[in-house]
Amino acid sequence: MIKYVFRRVLLLIPVILGVTFIVFTMLALTPGDPARLVLGESATDEAVAGLRSQMGLDRPFLTRYADYLGDLVLRGDIGKSYVTKRPVAKEILSCLPSTLKLALSSMLVAMAIGIPIGIVSAVKQYSLFDSATMVFALVGISMPVFWFGLLLILLFAVRLRWLPASGYSSLRQMILPAIALGAQSVSVLARMTRSSMLEVVRQDYIATIRAKGQRELVVILDHGLRNALIPIITVLGLQFGGLLGGAVLTESIFSIPGVGRLLVDSIKMRDYPVVQGGVLFIAIAFSLVNLAVDLLYAYVDPRIKSQYK
Amino acid sequence: MRVRMLRAMALAAAALLFVPGAQAAKAKDVLSVATAYDARSLDPVATNDVASSNVMCEIYENLVQLNDKGEVVPMLAESFKQLDATTYEFKLRKGIKFHNGEEMKASDVKFSLVRAAKAPAVSHIAGDIDVDSFKTPDAYTVSFKLKNPATGFLGGLVLSAGNIVSEKAVTAAGESYAMNPVGTGPFKFVSWAKGNMIELERFEGYHGAKPKFRKMVLKVIPEPTNRMIELESGGVDIAYELSANDLKRALSDPDLQVLRVIDNSTAYLGFNTQKKPFDDVRVRQAISYALNTKTIVETAWRGIGKLAAGPIAPNVNYSDPSLKPHEYNVAKAKALLAEAGFPSGFKTTIWTNEKKERVDMATIMQSQLKEVGIEVEIKVMEWGAYLTGMNAGEHNMYIVGWTCQSPDPDLAVYAPFHSSKKGAGGNYAFFSNPKVDELIMKARTMKDGPERKKAYFDLQKLIIAEAPWVFLMNGEQVVGARKGVRGFKPSVFGFHYKANTYFE
Repeated sequence: MIKYVFRRVLLLIPVILGVTFIVFTMLALTPGDPARLVLGESATDEAVAGLRSQMGLDRPFLTRYADYLGDLVLRGDIGKSYVTKRPVAKEILSCLPSTLKLALSSMLVAMAIGIPIGIVSAVKQYSLFDSATMVFALVGISMPVFWFGLLLILLFAVRLRWLPASGYSSLRQMILPAIALGAQSVSVLARMTRSSMLEVVRQDYIATIRAKGQRELVVILDHGLRNALIPIITVLGLQFGGLLGGAVLTESIFSIPGVGRLLVDSIKMRDYPVVQGGVLFIAIAFSLVNLAVDLLYAYVDPRIKSQYK
Repeated sequence: MRVRMLRAMALAAAALLFVPGAQAAKAKDVLSVATAYDARSLDPVATNDVASSNVMCEIYENLVQLNDKGEVVPMLAESFKQLDATTYEFKLRKGIKFHNGEEMKASDVKFSLVRAAKAPAVSHIAGDIDVDSFKTPDAYTVSFKLKNPATGFLGGLVLSAGNIVSEKAVTAAGESYAMNPVGTGPFKFVSWAKGNMIELERFEGYHGAKPKFRKMVLKVIPEPTNRMIELESGGVDIAYELSANDLKRALSDPDLQVLRVIDNSTAYLGFNTQKKPFDDVRVRQAISYALNTKTIVETAWRGIGKLAAGPIAPNVNYSDPSLKPHEYNVAKAKALLAEAGFPSGFKTTIWTNEKKERVDMATIMQSQLKEVGIEVEIKVMEWGAYLTGMNAGEHNMYIVGWTCQSPDPDLAVYAPFHSSKKGAGGNYAFFSNPKVDELIMKARTMKDGPERKKAYFDLQKLIIAEAPWVFLMNGEQVVGARKGVRGFKPSVFGFHYKANTYFE
């Protein structure tokens, strides 16, 4: 098991190399001059040229990439922001708490609503509840998060004045963003749980357990859900990994300074070090979440555990 | 019966004791402001953007400031003199303390201005200072020279580039100074949660009139709708940059007030005058005539801003008040186009960035230009790519804005119209006219007075006749505030002083 984890972590190296190279190339090919954007339109040409060479942007592409990798590997240094001059790691870390809060709370909303809906829909297949919730799920998936978020703000912050429209420090402030962002995952999760459960409840062993007179609740939750969990965990992992990269729209609507907004603002400003650092962070976070999901499989299904060598 | 009445009276008395009004007597102590953007840096020479200046103007002070009439008057200086065309001398006020307890001395002023002169981000404001010319004969006198005479220089010193910093604090903080600013202003820095909020606290050792509230919180709320909602629900006392959508609602809300001022920005449709057919002044004039800018501006901005009449915004010195927005006349446009050899028009493009109002304006222009036979394709670009494309001169027509960051008109005309500034320097029209160049260079060194006024008036008329731009509108600062907020006045520079605010 430890060997397996070690191997998986080692696999991060090619991922990091690939990601940094791709991002580096894309940024180099994108029009836009970081020095000009930092200094503004009024700055003189000489000042811009000076800053460009100070940023090292007048050197050839491969030299810049080699230097970046060198700093990354030898010193673990991913550079400083062109705009704020702060270390990139600090910039990302300062956005991380709000992103984690948002990701966790919306996953919580998704799980608390999505999984029960999925189970009931599967057990009562083709019932009114099933059809109604699946339509609801379809609406949830189709509704853009900025639209739903604004509707929530209009109702709960403007009309009813129950909840604040922006911010992220208190629990009350997190309710609306968590629901807005979670709604997408609720739908995905409900549908996934339903189809996975449907497959499981038709298995012979479920019929056997029922025939032995086990209580229906135990049949469904203990024997059914446990075996249906693998695809559900996969979906949860993918959603969570995605959310760690930030949810730009939700963050913008609710004024939450998260990783997504940091990245978009940095792209607009051509703040290369922050964009590179941000994408690198997302890639690593995503890989690690995937690894965690794979390890969870082993916990859920002992048959898989025996394969991890 | 009597018992019941007594009980009711006792209850009423108890209720009275606990009404929230009893607490309201305590004065409000915190001013919360919703801004659209976060500051980039709190080091005055690291940036010149409005959002950063909006914070720095509370932390720092300058040698000079503008009074209500827009004249340059002393601030940290007790007095100042211009000794000759390029030499300035400042006598400093004594006993002024920085937030770290140090007294402000001539050495700090020299340190601050030398730093500004060397900083690329503010070189268009302070770059003319000759860093080797400083003299500090005593602790409260500073004199220095400019490399070239420039009448607008003093006006530029009121901006954040002219903020006086504590030499000791800057040296001690090193690279982290931008997050640990130390000035002499009414508020000192407390904390900065990036992308979220900045907190400032009243500086008890402030030399001037102390602010009437203890703490200032600047919240970053990028969505205009959210700023409005926070204002309506009392989450903030002041909200910057209300959108046209929210303006009506704010105006009709009895709990709110709207404070507005026409700012120093000019939005325009420019021509790449190096490219055919825009190298022909008749084509440029024809397009001016073909566009009904009144409709364009009113439709896109719905009541915000003012129709622009010339290159110098109305609140900048020497803006000619007699100029009228240009005439809309399709027949004239058609005649001029025919004269220039395009009786049936031509095909071209308008570039704009993704700012909604600009895209809207471009769309209306597209349909108006169709009437004179000009087929326009609108190209919406992301800001960084847009600037790069314009610097390289790849554009035909383009919509953008220019802000004069000083009360002096030189910054309104030098970069956008002088032939030495083509492309990246600010002259995106690649405009070149020897008479315009000459007037710009002459006016920037002239002493303030009627002659300088005449030079700028002539210059404005000449630029309008040459038509490198179709002037669209002067921007407007639209700030919403709660009813009880008093003493707040929006500024033409887009960043606003908040220390004089109080609650009623």
